[in-house]
Amino acid sequence: MQILLVEDDAEAARHVGSGLREAGYGVQTCADGQQGRAAAQAAQFDLLIIDRMLPYLDGLSLIAELRAQGVRTPVLVLSALGTVDERVEGLRAGGDDYLVKPFALAELLARVEALLRRASGDVRHVGVLRVADLELNVLARRVSRGGREIALTAKEFQLLEYLLRRVDQVVTRTMLLEAVWNLHFDPQTNLIDVHISRLRQAIDRGFANPLLHTIRGSGYVIKDSGSAP
Amino acid sequence: MHRGWLRSSTARLALLYLCGVVVGVSALLWTVYLLTQRAMDSQVDLVIHTEIESLREDYRGGGPQRLVEVLDQRVDDWGRLGAVYLLVDSQGAQLAGNLSSWPHVLAPQGEWREFEISANEHGREVTHPVRAALVNLGGNRLLVGTDLSERRRFMARLRTTTIWGIALTAVFMALTGWWFSRRVAGRVRGVAQACESIISGNLTRRLPLDRSFDEFDQLAGAVNIMLDRIEQQTAAVRTTFNSAAHDLRGPLHRIRARLEAGLQAAPAAVSSLGIEATLADLDRVQHTLAMLLQIAQAEAGGGSAQETIDVAQMARELCELYAPEARERGINLAIHALRPALICGHQQLLAQLCTNLLENAIKYVPGGGHVELQVRATPYNVTLTVSDDGPGIPLAARANMLLPFRRLERDAAAPGSGLGLSLVAAVVRLHHGQLELTDNGPGLRVCCSFPAIAH
Repeated sequence: MQILLVEDDAEAARHVGSGLREAGYGVQTCADGQQGRAAAQAAQFDLLIIDRMLPYLDGLSLIAELRAQGVRTPVLVLSALGTVDERVEGLRAGGDDYLVKPFALAELLARVEALLRRASGDVRHVGVLRVADLELNVLARRVSRGGREIALTAKEFQLLEYLLRRVDQVVTRTMLLEAVWNLHFDPQTNLIDVHISRLRQAIDRGFANPLLHTIRGSGYVIKDSGSAP
Repeated sequence: MHRGWLRSSTARLALLYLCGVVVGVSALLWTVYLLTQRAMDSQVDLVIHTEIESLREDYRGGGPQRLVEVLDQRVDDWGRLGAVYLLVDSQGAQLAGNLSSWPHVLAPQGEWREFEISANEHGREVTHPVRAALVNLGGNRLLVGTDLSERRRFMARLRTTTIWGIALTAVFMALTGWWFSRRVAGRVRGVAQACESIISGNLTRRLPLDRSFDEFDQLAGAVNIMLDRIEQQTAAVRTTFNSAAHDLRGPLHRIRARLEAGLQAAPAAVSSLGIEATLADLDRVQHTLAMLLQIAQAEAGGGSAQETIDVAQMARELCELYAPEARERGINLAIHALRPALICGHQQLLAQLCTNLLENAIKYVPGGGHVELQVRATPYNVTLTVSDDGPGIPLAARANMLLPFRRLERDAAAPGSGLGLSLVAAVVRLHHGQLELTDNGPGLRVCCSFPAIAH
């Protein structure tokens, strides 16, 4: 997977670049908008990470230009401007996701993975989602594990559906807040933890093979760790 | 003209002006009419008097015989237009004059008589009003008068002209007033619409100018200059905040990157604890910065377009988000928000408002306490109330709490930025709402009311 990183802050670029390389991605870095445009036109990338404020050609104009040229590569916008409005502008200009600085590297990696999977069609759009013996029927709005019906509240159902569409993929708290509660700011308390632990109670209690895992410092992942028959 | 046009001050002014002018013009024209009538009447009387004096002279000089001659001559000569004469002897027999018989007088007034005579003109019977004076000349009675038909006709014409004059003046004034009122009202309406648009966040809109340089134009020009300055200042504040955000977040990001790199390189327990605490502090700094930027955004007009928001649904969802947290702290969180409560607003800022109020309540209410979230909708406004039975805020400190970074000394140890209620106040202001902090006896009740969407 090849990623183009356009970021003028050298230290931030180094940090993000090394983090991505450690995670197994190939990274090319550019320090301004014009270089970024040239690089994006010269080679095929799987993902573009573009800072909003860039010298010579700002990030949003660069994205808009690439989109106008028919470049469909997913774009993650990085910005030090974090109000709701600027998010909306960023997404409207053609960005696929928006991340406000300073962010944890884990948050960036989770978003990068989510974007790459979405681009490769790896988000499951089927009506019945399964992992191990857990089954969620989107249309009937029913959840069962090992054949036993599980009662969930509407939000718990939405939470589980979001996770099940991204099996084996780390999902962060802010991603959940945005997707399930449509909140684009961080409440101070760790609300999501409480909701996840309630969901875990509902789907994992009494089963030897836990499916919903907390990744410390990152978020959560739903996966079949394989101890089940 | 639409319903309630009388509410327009210019229309009322025009109507008042119209009434004044019509009364004035009526008084003037009617006075002219009356004066003309009196002048004509006295002229008639003067002419008759003069003629009687002249006839009396003739009588004194030549006796009845001479008088008859003079009268016959005057009748034959058509000397005076509309003149009427009749001389009779003591038996009532006509001696001279152009009346065939003594007229029937209804109401004699001293020497004056008014009556009507009939004449056959072109085969038609026509009556003429006559005013005449009566004198006794040695047993004979002499009647000298004037046919008033012509004068009556003239007065009737004058009366008609006067009434038409008044009516036309009224119509002209009404039309002028209507045009004036519409013109002024139209310009005021244009200004009002522009102002409303500006208040609702469209800071680039300006008042319409028509280059007439009249008072309205001058006023609009002055207001526009004022708006330009406000816009410049708002833009300057926005730029400052954006630069501040950028200049603070850049270094914060590098600090975080170094800490994370350090954490990965040397995960030894002691150093990593220090680093994790620093990262947590960094989160708090970041949160404070985000809140400040949100306040700045709300104060600068909110930016993005507003949408229709059901406050009740938003409150229900946020309540559900906080319910597990409240339960863990042993707080009873209740919600009353059944009916839809629609307002026009910024979804994220309103959600942040609601979140801040809920977080505050859950943070300060001790275990076993109650927090209640209520949304009510009337046709005019929507109120969102968060009340608790916690420690509350002393009356003297309430107004202060809405300013940034103000916290009660009591809460100094509790985590928090002191920005939550400032953001609430800024968001309420942005939505033209009202914010009230009251005593819940015991506890605090925060009530935000917003104008409802007009149906």
